[in-house]
Amino acid sequence: MNSDIFLRLGLALCIIGLGLFVYWRINQRLLLNAQNNALSLFNTLPNKPVIVYFTTSDYAPCKTIQRPALHQLSGLMGDKLHVIEIDAAQQPELAKQWGVLSVPTTFLLDARGEARYVNNGVARVEKLMEQLQTL
Amino acid sequence: MTSQTLQKVDHSVLKTNQLFIISLNILAFILNLPALAAFVALVMGIGSALKTPGFGFVYKSILKPRGWMKPDVLNDNPEPHRFSQILGFVFMTAGSLALFLGSTVLGWGLVWLVIGLAALNAFGGFCVGCAVYYWLARFNLPGFGKQPPAGTFPGMKPKASTNI
Repeated sequence: MNSDIFLRLGLALCIIGLGLFVYWRINQRLLLNAQNNALSLFNTLPNKPVIVYFTTSDYAPCKTIQRPALHQLSGLMGDKLHVIEIDAAQQPELAKQWGVLSVPTTFLLDARGEARYVNNGVARVEKLMEQLQTL
Repeated sequence: MTSQTLQKVDHSVLKTNQLFIISLNILAFILNLPALAAFVALVMGIGSALKTPGFGFVYKSILKPRGWMKPDVLNDNPEPHRFSQILGFVFMTAGSLALFLGSTVLGWGLVWLVIGLAALNAFGGFCVGCAVYYWLARFNLPGFGKQPPAGTFPGMKPKASTNI
């Protein structure tokens, strides 16, 4: 009985793992898209980490969580961080180019303009800070 | 683009429903409890009949009043979400029947299909049942009259400012 439960638990974990792998692959693809489009955002490389933040003006989680988190992060990092906010509703073509299907979505680019992280959904300050520290 | 009238849809209710469907079905699989899968099917069936997310009562009576989940109200069409639940109910009922009739692979396969689709909706913001609804609406089938909110990919969670 117990071994049966463990077998099923293992199988469930494998299936969930497969789902996470697919999710990871999709994120990799989004990063590749971002990589291909990142340079078009700048005339010259900013030589500092960049957060490209896709949002819409009145989506509640963007207004109440994501935007304040980015403001707080900008305050903490000062001129060591560049944040670019893009309204996905105003610029749907750009959102499409970057492969953004929902908001908020944040891309983290390193100082060389290489896309390193993508966060689908709300990303809190701690998480963003952790990601920035690895850039 | 469309000029249809959208309604306020609280996506937190939908998410609660999806999370319960996912959790209870995984528990049913691990503990080998077809009755639990059948219970999920039953709740989804009752929800479909009442035109409300089956496990939405948990959000309305516990999660929201205690502030454990905040409302996520968007202008959206409720009909595709109802259709999606009906589709889930059909799969869950078929899966439960298959399990009770001894077709375990087919039964749990259908249950996992529902888990996968609910997870895609809860974590990825893409509702496959809604996409099917909008696809059927293109053929002007009776009962499938709604179009996706303007600027929203069929099945994706609407972006708030695009549909007001």
